[in-house]
Amino acid sequence: MNLPTTAPETVISLQGVDKYFGDFQALKNINLSVAKGERIVICGPSGSGKSTLIRCINRLEQHNAGKIIVNGAELTDKVKDIDAVRREVGMVFQNFNLFPHLSIVENLMLAPRLVRKTTREDARVQAMTLLERVRIPEQADKYPSQLSGGQQQRVAIARALCMNPAIMLFDEPTSALDPEMINEVLEVMTDLAKEGMTMICVTHEMGFARSVADTVVFMDAGEIVERNTPEEFFNQPEQPRTQQFLQQILSH
Amino acid sequence: MNFDFALILSSIPQLLEGLSLTFQLWILSGILGLILAIMLMLMRISGRWYLAAPAMVYIYIFRGTPILVQLFIIYYGLPQVEFIRESIAWEILREPFGCGILALTLNTGAYVSEILRGGVQGVPKGLGEAAAALGLSKVQRFIYITTPLAVRLSLPAYSNDVISLMKSTALVSTITLLDMMGIARVIVSETYAPYEIFISLMIIYLLITWVTQKIFALLERRMSRHIIQ
Amino acid sequence: MDTLTGWWDDFFWGSVVVLQVFFVALVLMILFGLLGSAAKLSSSKILQSIANGYTIVFRGTPEILVLLLFYFGSAITLTAIAQYFDPSIKFIDIPPFWAGSMAIGLIVGSYATETFRGAFLGVDPGQIEAARALGISHFKTFLYIRIPAMWRLALPSFGNHMLSLIKDTALISVIGLQETMFVAEQATGTTGEPFVMYLMVGVIYLSFSTVITLAVMGFEKYGSRHLEVSR
Repeated sequence: MNLPTTAPETVISLQGVDKYFGDFQALKNINLSVAKGERIVICGPSGSGKSTLIRCINRLEQHNAGKIIVNGAELTDKVKDIDAVRREVGMVFQNFNLFPHLSIVENLMLAPRLVRKTTREDARVQAMTLLERVRIPEQADKYPSQLSGGQQQRVAIARALCMNPAIMLFDEPTSALDPEMINEVLEVMTDLAKEGMTMICVTHEMGFARSVADTVVFMDAGEIVERNTPEEFFNQPEQPRTQQFLQQILSH
Repeated sequence: MNFDFALILSSIPQLLEGLSLTFQLWILSGILGLILAIMLMLMRISGRWYLAAPAMVYIYIFRGTPILVQLFIIYYGLPQVEFIRESIAWEILREPFGCGILALTLNTGAYVSEILRGGVQGVPKGLGEAAAALGLSKVQRFIYITTPLAVRLSLPAYSNDVISLMKSTALVSTITLLDMMGIARVIVSETYAPYEIFISLMIIYLLITWVTQKIFALLERRMSRHIIQ
Repeated sequence: MDTLTGWWDDFFWGSVVVLQVFFVALVLMILFGLLGSAAKLSSSKILQSIANGYTIVFRGTPEILVLLLFYFGSAITLTAIAQYFDPSIKFIDIPPFWAGSMAIGLIVGSYATETFRGAFLGVDPGQIEAARALGISHFKTFLYIRIPAMWRLALPSFGNHMLSLIKDTALISVIGLQETMFVAEQATGTTGEPFVMYLMVGVIYLSFSTVITLAVMGFEKYGSRHLEVSR
């Protein structure tokens, strides 16, 4: 299982993490380590704590017990450390969360300019390169409200990449999309995986998990129930709860 | 009883002599009130009880009492207090104009701070999270994400309060100031022609309201063209 | 507190006057608000224009101006009419109580017009369609579906209108109504203590505002009890 060590290739390590919302325990004794370049898909029924788990990794939620170490730095209350960790960890949200008052290219330029103090010209060049990578450079000067959901989510991925993160977190990136737009986003994510990005992805897209993930993690009721390779996970799941879950989603 | 049109024509120039005072009161207390409102709003959302609590009490008191009472406490009441008469604040409070500005500022500040707070709270939480995930500091998030969006969200309610403040300036006529309302009251007491004078004044106020609404509507359209509500 | 000795009774009766004006104006406000919103939603162009004129004028001019116009305007009209029948009459006015209640009822009613109109339009048409699809009559749909839904939507603004009403009563002292502001003025004349007296008025109004705010909060909680999110 997961050894509580930070071996050189381990970029994220969670050790005995608990998280409460009031009386409700959202995460129960979570242990998980992620190696550099590893692609993890987290799945599980709604309310199982998947989103909370990845939101703890860049401290959008604060854990109540245990240890979280990202890129060698432990997450504590120190504001400076948190901002430093967040620069290394990109995040893509279910609802895109593009800044509605900024154009697409400005959405991409904001963080490099403010955080990395990149010049306007350099930030724009980098932004355009990334927009080409997610295949929508022609939308650069439009505003988020003028784009389709799939396009917005690709912009959101590009925006996260602008900070050259070592790790990318995806929080149900395709759940808010119309079915016909899901693939364009998954394609961009697959490209990213091929380039060797370390990725943690909460998703219900089992096809994506099968073809891209190194590891599939199944969560239920705040616990990690099973951690396995995709082949084992889908073909011979170890735990009865996993079997039940797979039956439910695959019978659709 | 006749409706005297000649009196309307002759009184309008007289009424407009008070326009400058109305505008001075309106604009000066509008700006000072906005500054006060921003401070109160920041105190309320600071998450620190020793800042939030005084702001809440202040807002509660100033929104819970009539502005006329506030004006009278300041104009009639404060000069009675010894240490105020001896402080530099006396330079402002000895003049009815200063009292008017103070009362209007304190009053509008309380209302506008709640409008601004509504705007800040109306900014979707996810946008702040997205900015945080990109490594923007708390201050940067407030300046670059929350503020521009909150301004757009609070603009409609704010425009109402600006008009409300303009209407409140008419109350200074009760503390001897000769703004448009004050002049109108003097003319009515001399001519005893309330319809002619007051209706003329109404039209002037309505014009000011109308122009103000137009300006804000234009501003709103310009600022929120990319935000689908 | 010593300075207030001997004035408690006066402040008490002043407060009673404030409450009387408040309730009369509240009825008028609801009446004008409903009439105004009905006119705005009607298909008649004439009614719409009248209602639009009403809200533009009463929302766009200072309250004190409306009040003075009402009081002095009605006085001069009444006096002229009376003198037509009996030239020896010098001056007749509408009592400040009624002129004042009418004026602030009309003013706040113009704001209520927009609130009621918005609430009426804000009711989810799906709910109405669902009720009609179930075969519930127009009238019963109105009574059991639209009115409760409207009420929930209008309540927060309605609470603010009540606060405006109670605070606007202070203005009526300007035309001589013997409410708390008037009492404070008299008390100041006798005691030379304006600070305490007007502060007292402030405390009275703050108490009224607090009661209204708490009542509205209670109603809101009651009105949305089934909308609580379950966990």
